[in-house]
Amino acid sequence: MIQNRMVIRTGNQMIAEGALQAGCQFFAGYPITPASGIYKAMIEQLPSKNGVAISAPDEISALAYCVGASARGAKTMTATSGPGWALMIETVQYALMTELPVVIAMVQRLGPSTGGATQNAQGDILFTEFCTSGGYTIPMFAPSTPQECFEVTTIAFKWAELLRTPVVILSDKEVGMMAEDVNYALLNSAPPWYRKEFSSKNGEPHITYNFKNGGDIPFFAPVGGKDKVTMTGSAHNKQGALQKNSPETLEVLRHLQQKIDVHKEEMAIVRLDEQEKADTLIISFGITHRTAREAVKRARSSGKRVRLANVISLFPIPSKQLIEAASNVKRIIVAEENMTGQYRSVIRHLFDGKEIIGVNAVGTMISPEMILSEIL
Amino acid sequence: MVGTESKYLKENASFPFCKGCGHHHYVNYLDEALTKLNLDPEHVCIVSDIGCIGILDSLFSTPHTFHTTHGRSTAFATGIELADGILNDSKLKSIVVIGDGGSTIGLLHIVNAAMMNIDVTVLVANNFLYGMTGGQHSHFSPLDFVTPTTPAGNIVPPLDICSIVKSCGAQFVKQAVVTDKNLSSIVAEAIRYPGFALVEIFELCTEWATPFNKIDGKMLSSKVQFAEEDLPALRKEFSELYKEKILSVPLKKSDDGIEQKYSSPLRGTKRIVFAGTAGEKVQLASYLTMRAAIGSKLHATQKNDNPVTQGSGFSLSEVCLSSEEILYTGIDVPDVVIIASADGLKEVRANGILQRCRKNSLVLAEQTLPEFECGGTVLRLALRSLCTGSRASLSAFAAFNEITGWIPREAMNETFEQKFKEKSALYEKDIASLKPALAALLPKGVPV
Ligand code: SF4
Ligand SMILES: [Mg+2]
Repeated sequence: MIQNRMVIRTGNQMIAEGALQAGCQFFAGYPITPASGIYKAMIEQLPSKNGVAISAPDEISALAYCVGASARGAKTMTATSGPGWALMIETVQYALMTELPVVIAMVQRLGPSTGGATQNAQGDILFTEFCTSGGYTIPMFAPSTPQECFEVTTIAFKWAELLRTPVVILSDKEVGMMAEDVNYALLNSAPPWYRKEFSSKNGEPHITYNFKNGGDIPFFAPVGGKDKVTMTGSAHNKQGALQKNSPETLEVLRHLQQKIDVHKEEMAIVRLDEQEKADTLIISFGITHRTAREAVKRARSSGKRVRLANVISLFPIPSKQLIEAASNVKRIIVAEENMTGQYRSVIRHLFDGKEIIGVNAVGTMISPEMILSEIL
Repeated sequence: MVGTESKYLKENASFPFCKGCGHHHYVNYLDEALTKLNLDPEHVCIVSDIGCIGILDSLFSTPHTFHTTHGRSTAFATGIELADGILNDSKLKSIVVIGDGGSTIGLLHIVNAAMMNIDVTVLVANNFLYGMTGGQHSHFSPLDFVTPTTPAGNIVPPLDICSIVKSCGAQFVKQAVVTDKNLSSIVAEAIRYPGFALVEIFELCTEWATPFNKIDGKMLSSKVQFAEEDLPALRKEFSELYKEKILSVPLKKSDDGIEQKYSSPLRGTKRIVFAGTAGEKVQLASYLTMRAAIGSKLHATQKNDNPVTQGSGFSLSEVCLSSEEILYTGIDVPDVVIIASADGLKEVRANGILQRCRKNSLVLAEQTLPEFECGGTVLRLALRSLCTGSRASLSAFAAFNEITGWIPREAMNETFEQKFKEKSALYEKDIASLKPALAALLPKGVPV
């Protein structure tokens, strides 16, 4: 890339480039609109960086290939949309349970079922987040532009590796498939991160899930390396051996959530467009955030006082940042392209005593006018 | 039964299986096979899943064990082997331990591993039923087999896993009874085989099969059909092939971006819809418009749409051009709509674009299209006869742009030349003939 030149990129292409930037070594894909652009870009580019990009016969296999490769020590990613995610849920849980890092780009389309392959939606927020038996937190990041797709992908890889857990990039059809001018000089990224590897001190044997405090991350040893690894999707002790309800097994289960909770603050990304003495806060993410920016621009030009929050880290819920964002405002508008206000439903408890309004749409983008009409 | 002294098994491990269950032999023969091969335990990974046989992982002390979800073991093993064979030193041997139930729910994973010829060894413990969950019949149950879920006898013939993987190109496919003396040799050969290998091992479930069925060792032996001598490995193992043909192939030169050497006089945002027929370069028209605009220091977005079958019916493209960052990317009220064909007209009507046009919206429509209702200003042009269908969209916009000057003419020309080389003369001709016709039709005071 020649500096100071513009390129045309889709959000999907920038997720692929973000993955390369983060050092992704293994991608397995299965075609699905609107996520196929990521698959294609990875097949084109990853092998030239000495990585493996492979075609799977279904989404179950795609994610299982990634998780297997992750156990062998590779940084891995796959990409899908709602119908494929439905098939992947079994393996997402397995990755969570066995503490194997993997990044999954979920490019939303209109559901339910096959829904509308080429129609946008932000209707898979709860479906994606609350997919585990037991309700464990899956870190989830939502980009709104191709630039943010790049950045968020590097962040997703960082947290997947650091926490040894599956991490979701929650994109949508509009963000993923729209092409736009991108200035590479302005791209941000998280520094590449690799899971901490186990190395034996004084000959102590490797314990697959060794931790002192519940929030600690066990050191990683790959399957196929010199330290024996024991992994299972069944409830297990720190050795990785199947065990029913022993105190140690329950400690391991709690640890799966605690390691996320401990890092909640560091994971939080809420970008505020501040205005002094604002009496309204608009919360949005993904494609709707761009629309919200337009609405805010127009509202301010007509003298309204509005603060805008772009929630990039949807989960763990960045409660502290959202509460701060809402300080001194009377009215909170949550704009998201789904029927029932999914994200609003999980954050509304943070804003006791304030008026909370949802701007929602199904099968059509939220327009700036829809948001403007709620700014009093 | 208790495991004997072994480099791989736990010392004095007590096996968790019922008395007389074939799984005892399975574990011991697997251990013997590993011993025969004298594999370094760190280069062995036992990938198991759900079912009585799946819990054998707890019996192994030194190899890696990876206990997975029901039937998925072969898929996880494929991932492990891909990473091992391509990204690492390829020393690891992944051994899939799976039952007949797992082989049914995970059949596609086995099929795909066979097709790829990935270096995975699948040892199917076939006892014709689901032992762990109460003896329900499986897709491997023989005809007339009596189980709690086939009390009148099974009426569906069994799935033949060996024939299936053979038809998928698997080269090492064998069957044996779990008590066969040479089973450890067969398993050792399978593990050593540099590619996909499958051994179907017939067993008895003493808890659920023998009490209700006339089934014994003789009957099991009669089922063995795939037992011929080894075939030489004819196909290359997948990872080897991948390293040879795909890995490190240099990237096709990617475009090195758009130099912003022109300047557009446009202030604000213009939203343009291109509508036509698939295969008639509608989306290319919008893409080149976008390139030329970016080269003139504008921002641009592009969204395409087409029916589920990509090469037929309508083709639609929406482009926003702006002197400022484009925030909202939807087109509520278009500034320009170019309709090059009947397919395009049908679509802009169906998706509401025509209805959303306002007086300032200019609709450049092919002359021969039937009358249509629209809130915008409709200008009829002989797009298809003057420019042919496949140049109509782009030529219409380029002629229009010559009049408005939104994108400098030089930027458009350069984009045309880069893309079409000497053929760009055709577009020049189109523009020359469209421009006067269009200029005559345009209402006064076109917004620039
Ligand atoms: S239930 Fe059947 S398969 Fe399971 S251990 Fe007992 S005999 Fe073996
Ligand atoms: Mg069975």
